[in-house]
Amino acid sequence: MTDTTDKFAVLMRQSLDGDKRAYAELLQETSRFLRPFLAKRLSFTNEVDDLLQEILLSIHKARHTYDGNRAYKPWVYAIAQFRLSDYLRSHYSDQLRLALEISEVENNLPENVTETTLSYESISGEIQKLPQKQAMILQLMHQEGYTAKEVAEKMGMNESAVKVAAHRAYKVLREKLEHS
Amino acid sequence: MSNIEDLIDKLAQDTTTVKPAPHPFALSAKWMLTAAVYLAVSLMISGPRFDIETKLHDFWFVAEMAALLGIFFATSLSAALLSFPDMHQKRRAVLAPAVAFVVFIGVMFLSWQADSPPAPLPRHSFECSMMISMLSLLPAVWTFFQMRKFASTHSLWAGSIAMLFAFSIGAIWLRLDEINDSIIHVIEWHYLPMIAAGLIGMWLGKRFLKW
Repeated sequence: MTDTTDKFAVLMRQSLDGDKRAYAELLQETSRFLRPFLAKRLSFTNEVDDLLQEILLSIHKARHTYDGNRAYKPWVYAIAQFRLSDYLRSHYSDQLRLALEISEVENNLPENVTETTLSYESISGEIQKLPQKQAMILQLMHQEGYTAKEVAEKMGMNESAVKVAAHRAYKVLREKLEHS
Repeated sequence: MSNIEDLIDKLAQDTTTVKPAPHPFALSAKWMLTAAVYLAVSLMISGPRFDIETKLHDFWFVAEMAALLGIFFATSLSAALLSFPDMHQKRRAVLAPAVAFVVFIGVMFLSWQADSPPAPLPRHSFECSMMISMLSLLPAVWTFFQMRKFASTHSLWAGSIAMLFAFSIGAIWLRLDEINDSIIHVIEWHYLPMIAAGLIGMWLGKRFLKW
């Protein structure tokens, strides 16, 4: 599978010889094909940028393990996948920690936060002024009839986090409506 | 986006001539050679079993040693490949230890069947595992140190295989050193502890081969 005419392999060989321009071009090309790979797997642009920077640093650190005599992309994707898995692992363990904290808060909530006597349609104008995530949660729960669990699945959140977000939204709305 | 471009500029400015890592086959050969020297020195110090010449004519003993050497070769090759992020694009060769272990288990099973009447059990037991562990300590540290120079993306497996490589050296040494023909003892106190070594290696790999 050695393709010595592979553009990336040639650039890498030049880079290993100390050619700064070839190295810059290689990293630019690499970030170009890695960006869609990461964008498909992550939700936010800032996450993609952060991880892409981390991957480029890893490529730099591990460049001595590539000799330019085998395909370049599998080598890069192995590093990218490794860093992505690391990132997702730490991201989800953070979420789990957060969810545990939220569930402690949830136990102290005075009422069932997923139920309200307000009608969605009557206050939809106020709902649209809420932060995007809260507005989306209320729309899904009260206009489209999803349960908190279903909303959580749909939005990639924890059920408790959805309930707490809904509770906060109700609180804001209640204050607004009381003052109007 | 500009952050990425700044980073690329910085990395490009920092780059100098880099010597590529040796091919994993060369790396593996170097590790095996070093291990062979260590094994030879250890045997010279401890002295081989006095009946070694007779044992070298014993078919099952020779088969066991050959299978053990197979593990030694396979784990060395696999550890070298696992040191590279893409396993040097030789995924099948990484699985060589699995084949070597299947062969080894087969040989040990047949040796056990052939051990009739069974050779008497020696008086000692866990001392053998201790001796193997002690002799394998230096190769294990050295192998981890070597592997850390590269960039494994499979740190758990890399650690496990590195430990199996080191323990295969200890196991070969003890088999050539100890006067004992009980297959049951050998399986129980020489080879089964290798499983534990492989599991500990996973933890060590996670801890020391991360980069």
